[in-house]
Amino acid sequence: MTRLPADLRLDRIRCLRRERPRLRGAGWTAAGVVLLALSGFASGELRFGDLLSERRGALLRDFLRNEALPPELRGEAFHVLAWLRWLAGVWTGPEAGGAIASLAIGVLAVVLAGAAAVLLMPAATRTLMTRDPFLEPPESAGRGAWRAVPRVARLFCVLLRAIPEYIWAFLLLGIFPHGAWPAVLALALHNGGILARLGADTLENADPRPPRSLRMLGAGRGSIALAALGPQCFGRLLLYFFYRFETCLREATVIGMLGILSLGHLVVEARARDRQDLMIAWILLGSLLVLAADLVSHLVRRAVRRQGLS
Amino acid sequence: MRVSRWRAARPGPAGWTLLGILAAGLLAAAALGLGPRDLLPREGGGATALRFFRAALEPALDYEDPVLRERASQPYVLTLLLALWRTLAFACAAILASLWGGFGLGFLASSSWWEDEAGDPGTGRLFRGLRPAVQAGVRLLIGLLRSVHELLWAVLFSAAFGLQPITAVLALALPYTGNLAKIWSEMLDEAPAGPARALRQLGARPLQVFLFGRLPRALPDMAAYGFYQLECAIRSSMVLGFFGVGTLGLLLRQSFLEVHFREVWTVLYLVFALVLLMETWSGRLRRRWRLA
Repeated sequence: MTRLPADLRLDRIRCLRRERPRLRGAGWTAAGVVLLALSGFASGELRFGDLLSERRGALLRDFLRNEALPPELRGEAFHVLAWLRWLAGVWTGPEAGGAIASLAIGVLAVVLAGAAAVLLMPAATRTLMTRDPFLEPPESAGRGAWRAVPRVARLFCVLLRAIPEYIWAFLLLGIFPHGAWPAVLALALHNGGILARLGADTLENADPRPPRSLRMLGAGRGSIALAALGPQCFGRLLLYFFYRFETCLREATVIGMLGILSLGHLVVEARARDRQDLMIAWILLGSLLVLAADLVSHLVRRAVRRQGLS
Repeated sequence: MRVSRWRAARPGPAGWTLLGILAAGLLAAAALGLGPRDLLPREGGGATALRFFRAALEPALDYEDPVLRERASQPYVLTLLLALWRTLAFACAAILASLWGGFGLGFLASSSWWEDEAGDPGTGRLFRGLRPAVQAGVRLLIGLLRSVHELLWAVLFSAAFGLQPITAVLALALPYTGNLAKIWSEMLDEAPAGPARALRQLGARPLQVFLFGRLPRALPDMAAYGFYQLECAIRSSMVLGFFGVGTLGLLLRQSFLEVHFREVWTVLYLVFALVLLMETWSGRLRRRWRLA
C-alpha cells in the first residue's frame, strides 16, 4: 500500500467527510420539532404532572384491581388457565362476528384500493405520459401538454391520502348511514392514493428497454403499461400491496369506533357498558389479528422475493 | 407438439396470485353482505352529499353559527390556528418521546448489537448468555406496542385514568416507539458492513465498531424513516381530536355534527395544505440526501 503524505491524507479525509451520506436540512427540521414540542409544555397544554397526580394514581389502581378484572374471575385473578378459558369464551361468543367483519373490511378495502391504484397508476407515471413515451430525446422529454397529466394525477393521489382513513369514514357515514361501506370506502380511498403513488414511482424506475421496443413497434400507452411495465414491476407492486394490507387491517379494527361493526365497535360498546374487562379482551383480539396479518404479509412478501418476482 | 387450449390459457404464478386476491375480495364482500347497490345513497344521503360538496366552494372564514359569531371569545381564525398548533405540538412531543425507546429497543433488538458480521461477539458480549432471552423479549415487546393502534391506546388510557393532552401524547408515543424500534433495528442490520469490518481490523472495541462503523451508515435511512413517522404522527394527532383532545379532529367533528359544512371544508383545506407542505418538505429532504 502506498502511503500518502499527512496533509494529503487529511484532505482525503475531509473530502470523504463532505461526501458522506447525510440528510440535509434534517437539522432544521429536528430543531422545529423540538421547538414545537417544547411550546406544548411551555404553554401549559401538556403537563407531566397530569401523568403522576395522586388522583390519577388512585384511578389507575382502581382500574387495575377492580374494573379490568372480569366479574367471573375476581377471586382467582392470578389463575392463568382460568384467564385463558375466559378469553376463549369471550372470543368465541356471539359478538365475535366483529373480528370477522374487521378482517373482511380490511381485505375488501385493500383489494378495492389495489384496483383503484392500477387504474390511476399509469396516469401518474411521468415516463409514460409524454408525447412520445420512451422514444423522446432526453432534451425534449417532459415538455408539452402531456406533462400536466401526471401532475394532476399525483395531486389527486395526495388529496386521497391526505385525509386520514378515520376522517374519511366519519364523513362518508353522513352519506351511507348503514352497513360497512363507509369503512371499506374510507380505507380504499386513502390506501388507493398511497398505492397509486408508490406504484407510479415503481413504473418510472422500471427498465426502459422493453417499453421502448414495444413503442417502436407502435404500441399505445395502455399496451405499454400492460405488457411491458406491469409484468416487470409485478413483484414490487405485490410487495406494496401486502404492506398496505397490514395497515388496512390495523385501521379496519379501529374504524369501527365510529359505530361500524368491527372490533373497534365492540371496544367502545364494552367501554360504554363499563365492562373494561371485555374492552381489554377485544383490544387483545385485535392485536392478535394484526400480528397474524403481519405474519401472513411477511411470509407472502418473502415468498415473492424468493420467487424472484421482484 | 400440440398444446391444449387450456394449457395455453392457464394462468402463471402472477395470474394465480391476482385471481386469489380477487377471490379474497369477493369473499370479503359476501361476508359483509355488501353489494354495489348499497352504494346508491338513500334516506337523504344524496342530498346531504350534494350540500356537502357544494360547501367546498365557499369554505368558512368565520363561525357559521350566528350566535357564536357575535359572542365567541376568540375569532375563528385563532381557533383554527390553535387547533393546528396543538396537532403539531402533540405529534412532535410524541415523536420526541418515542425516539428514546426507539433507539434503546432498536439497539437491543438488532443482531448487529449482539454480534458483528463475522459472528464474533459484539457490544452486548458481557451479557451474551442473556442474548436469546433479551432479544426475544424485546422483539415481543416491540410487537405488542405496535399491534395496538394508537386510538385503542387512547381508549384504554381514557378508561384507566381519563384522556388529557399528555395521555394522548403517551398513546401516540407507544406504537410509534414500536415502529421506530422495529424498522431501525432492521436498518442497523442491513447497513453496509465495510466500515465496521475496517474498524474491527484496526483494533476498535465492539462499542466503537457499532457506534462509528455501523450506526453512521444507517443514520440517514433512520432519520428519513423518523420523519416519515412524524408525518404519520401528525395525521394521528388530528384524529385523536375525535376523542376530545383539542386538535383539528375535534373542530372537524363538531362542525360536521352541527351540519356546518363550510367550516368542515376550511379544516379539510387546512389538512390538505399541511400534508402537501409535509410531502414537499420530506421529498426535498430525501432528494438532497446524497449517497457517497
